[in-house]
Amino acid sequence: MNESADTRLPPSGTANRIWRIFGTGLSFVCFGLGAVLLGFTVWPILRLSTTDRRRGIARVQRAVSLCMRLFLRLMTTLGVISCEVHGRERLAARGQFVVANHPTLIDVVILVGLMPEVDCIVKQALWRNVFLRWPVYWAGYISNATGEGLIAACEAALGAGRSLMVFPEGTRTKPGETFNFQRGAAQIALAARVPLRPVTITCNPITLFKGNAWFRVPSRTAHFVVTVGEPIPITAFLASGEAHSLAARHLTQALAQWFEDNVARQQAEIATGNTAQKLTRRDDSI
Amino acid sequence: MQSTQEIFEQLRKVLHELFEIEPSQVTLEAHLYNDLEIDSIDTIDLILRLKELTGRKIQPDQFRHVRTVGDAVNAIHALVQNKPAAA
Repeated sequence: MNESADTRLPPSGTANRIWRIFGTGLSFVCFGLGAVLLGFTVWPILRLSTTDRRRGIARVQRAVSLCMRLFLRLMTTLGVISCEVHGRERLAARGQFVVANHPTLIDVVILVGLMPEVDCIVKQALWRNVFLRWPVYWAGYISNATGEGLIAACEAALGAGRSLMVFPEGTRTKPGETFNFQRGAAQIALAARVPLRPVTITCNPITLFKGNAWFRVPSRTAHFVVTVGEPIPITAFLASGEAHSLAARHLTQALAQWFEDNVARQQAEIATGNTAQKLTRRDDSI
Repeated sequence: MQSTQEIFEQLRKVLHELFEIEPSQVTLEAHLYNDLEIDSIDTIDLILRLKELTGRKIQPDQFRHVRTVGDAVNAIHALVQNKPAAA
C-alpha cells in the first residue's frame, strides 16, 4: 500500500503489535464491563430520574454518548486506533437523519459519540443478549424486529424532532466488496420527508471488519477518517409522483452512488496525504 | 377464471410497474427476495396491489409461505378460485 508515503507511521514491529493486541482486548473488556455495570445501575437511575419517559431516554442517550467518547479516548490513548473528524459541528443539531457507511465494528461508537442524543436501530441479537439488552432498553433504542413497524417507529422519532442514525447497508461491508444498500434508509427518509445527512467513514489499514477476529490487529495503528457531508435532499424523489416503491429504489441508488463516489474520494485523498486541508476545501465545495 | 399462465403474465406486469423488475428476470423459479430483491416493505405494496387487481381480501397468512414467483402464482390462483392457498 502507501506505507512509505504515510507520515503518520507510528512505531511498528512485534512489541508495538503485541501492545495493540493488549490495548484492543483491554478496550473491549472495559466496554463490556461498562455496558453491564451501567446497564444495571446508572442507566436505570437516569431513565427513572423523571416521570417523563422521553426526558429519561434523552438523559440516558446523552450519558451513553459521553461514554462512547470516553471509550474512543481510551482506544486512541492506548494507540489502538487514531481518528480524525471533519465537519463534526454539523452533527450538533437535533432532528437529523444520519446515514453512514459501515466498515468496522466501532463505527457506531464513533457516531453515537459525535451526536448529543440519537436514536439507533438495534438488531434482535442484542435485544436477546442478557447483558446488552439493558443498556439498549434504557436508551430507548429501536428494535429491528418488525418490517413496517420499524419504518413507522423511525418516522415517529424524526417526526418528534429527534435524531436517528442508520447504516443503510444493515451490516458491515466486507472489505473489497461494493456497498449493498438496503432500501430501509430511503423508505424512512421518504416517509418522514427529511433529507439524509451522510457520513463517510474510512479506516486504514482496515480492522475490526466483518469476520475479522479482534486480536488480528493490522500492521500499524488503524487510522479512522470521518467526514460529515452536506445534506442529501429528497425533494426531487418526493415530487416525482412515482409510486413510493419506485421512489425508494431510485433514492437508494442515488444514495449508494453518493457513498461510492465520496468514500472513493476520501480514500484517494488519504492515499495522497494531508486529508485535513483537502477535506476542508471539499466541505466548501459540496 | 384466470389460468395460471394469465396470472403469471399479470404478475410480471405488476412487478415491473411497482419495482421496475425486468419481465425477463421473472421466471416461476425466481426467488422473490434473493433473485428479485423484493423486501418485506415491497411485499406489503405487492399484496395491496394484488388486492386491487383481484378484488379479493388477502390475509397475509395466505402469502406467508410464498418464496418464489411460482408460489405467488399458485397462491393468487387459489385465491381467485376461492380455495385456501396451497402452502
